Amino acid sequence: MPLFVAGLSHKNAPIELRERLAVDEDKLRELLRDVAATGAVGEALILSTCNRVEVYGVAPVPGEARTAAFRHLCQHRGVSLGLVEPLLYTHVETEAIRHAFRVTASLDSMMIGEPQILGQVKDAFALAQACETIGPSLHTLFTQAFAVAKKVRTETEIARHAVSVSFAAVELAKKIFAGLAGKAVLLVGAGKMGELAARHLVEQGAFPVYVVNRTWARAQEMARALSGTAVPWDELETALGGVDIVITSTGAPEPVITRAAVQRVTHGRRARPLFFIDIAVPRDVEEGVDGLGDVYRYDIDDLKQVVDANIRERLREAQRAEGLVERETAKFLLRLRDVEVIPTIVSLRERLEEIRAGEVRKTLARLPDASMETRQAIDALSSAIVNKILHAPISKLRESSRAGAHRSWLELVHELFGLRRGS
Amino acid sequence: MHPTLLNLAIIAYVVATGLSLAYLVQREEWIHRVASLATVAGWVLHTIALLARGLELGRPPLGTLPEAVSVAVWVIVLLALWAERQYGVKVLGAFVLPVVLMFSVKSASSRVLPGLEPALSGAWLWVHIGLALVGIAAFVLNFAGAVMYLLQERQVRAKRPGNLYYRLPALETLDRLTYRTLALGFPFLTTGILLGLLWAGRAWGSVFTFDPLAVLSFVAWAIYAATLAGRAAAGWRGRRAAYCAIAGFAALLLTLGAGLFLPGRHGG
Repeated sequence: MPLFVAGLSHKNAPIELRERLAVDEDKLRELLRDVAATGAVGEALILSTCNRVEVYGVAPVPGEARTAAFRHLCQHRGVSLGLVEPLLYTHVETEAIRHAFRVTASLDSMMIGEPQILGQVKDAFALAQACETIGPSLHTLFTQAFAVAKKVRTETEIARHAVSVSFAAVELAKKIFAGLAGKAVLLVGAGKMGELAARHLVEQGAFPVYVVNRTWARAQEMARALSGTAVPWDELETALGGVDIVITSTGAPEPVITRAAVQRVTHGRRARPLFFIDIAVPRDVEEGVDGLGDVYRYDIDDLKQVVDANIRERLREAQRAEGLVERETAKFLLRLRDVEVIPTIVSLRERLEEIRAGEVRKTLARLPDASMETRQAIDALSSAIVNKILHAPISKLRESSRAGAHRSWLELVHELFGLRRGS
Repeated sequence: MHPTLLNLAIIAYVVATGLSLAYLVQREEWIHRVASLATVAGWVLHTIALLARGLELGRPPLGTLPEAVSVAVWVIVLLALWAERQYGVKVLGAFVLPVVLMFSVKSASSRVLPGLEPALSGAWLWVHIGLALVGIAAFVLNFAGAVMYLLQERQVRAKRPGNLYYRLPALETLDRLTYRTLALGFPFLTTGILLGLLWAGRAWGSVFTFDPLAVLSFVAWAIYAATLAGRAAAGWRGRRAAYCAIAGFAALLLTLGAGLFLPGRHGG
């Protein structure tokens, strides 16, 4: 029975439709059971996220299975099937395998390399397992898909570079400082983004954290939230002298950190690098501070530019990841075909062994006086004949499976040797 | 040098250089792995070639400048292999190996081996040359670190991350690499030069005569001394220290060039 995947995703279906088709776990359980009960599918897994709804399965006629699955889904959600049907894509066999690998490896995601999808596929797999709709085919497919996803993450950098402004700031800091452990952070202002960036820095080992705010109570509150120290507004310049990274996010209309102020503190810093992350609009740090040696300043637009470059870098890496998925798909197909011929090889061996053992038993029964040596010789002779005969058909089966033309050979072997179906 | 082995070593270095440069553009891990392998293979072959040559001559293979340069290359590659692991700078090879290649091709193409003056012998001479070579090797890395620093600094300042931005390590890491190699190379170079002076005084009766290599090596030494003092006392870092490293290395290259091409006591 062929593997298939059918569904819709952010690539072709609008959000209005996707949100109407999204289902929670309980409904999903119900749905899986209903779909399995129709008998149209042998195995089934339903993946439902905010960006895609897909049914993976094994079915004699994938088209029928797809209609059955989506009819049930649409009934559940009160959406007309006619609305969904034209948007559905169906991939069979090789394409289905490639699709499963690409989705799990986050190559088909809206933001390439986003990490959630792997967890979502794992959850869908666990749910289908709990509903007993996972058979050997989907089991092999998804176990491999998880392995491929891991490989893509470690061997390419599709998930390496930050695609959010606050993480981009942390990454920049890591290109200036050898490590963030022990780097002092000064947070100026109480903006949400500033707090987020400070939190990321602290998670990476930055310490200590100072907080400056025009409102003293707010400074204290924020300092408590970040396990830092509140510093009075007048001491901003003094604080500048002793820190490595400054995050500013005040609502001030004028810059709160001037070039002159930074210049005054640089003398005492002995060329220790100072990194300004200015998330405020209007900006808090005067543009001129860049010109000072060992001072780096990034405003929100600069950070966005870095994010754009990071996204381009991810897309470049995605090209490599696609190649990797392609190779893994080919490998998996070979394995799958081997898996298909192995039962036949086993039953062929069993069949001939059965005949051989029976005939040897009969012969030996007619020779009660035969010595131990003779008995062993007869046994060995028969085994050798069987093995010689088996050699050619088994090699042929293996060979044909690698070439992808094993189906007719399997039939032939079954017919010729009178093997039982399905064994 | 042992010609065949040395040629094999140079071929390995050529392969390593090509792959290291390719790794700058094409980030495939296997390229880096093969480049590392080629570097190590080249270094091992080089080691055997030097040993064979030493046994053949019955003295360290340091008697002529081409020989000495070959040994310097050997030290540079060893240091580069160490620094790459120590600082996690996978692209280091792309910056060090071209220099290595330039030196080793130069040393291999000067095949003329003039007989040594009787004055040029004795353990002190070998120590003088050996120490100076380790110093030079450290300064090649110092130079590579400085170039990488300046490139990365430009990327960070331009706020437009390019290909190199993603591959080069943090500015602070590169600054540490240049500081460490300066601190390592300087005492070696200093002692090497001092021993040279002492030994020249004993061999020729005069401590200092106008020898192009000697004069230029003082210039290089002075630049490095000033950088080290600036770093240690005035807290120089970053760009300024990187420019100094490049100036020092330029002087050092001129020194070696003078030794290879101009007549003088060091000429070969």
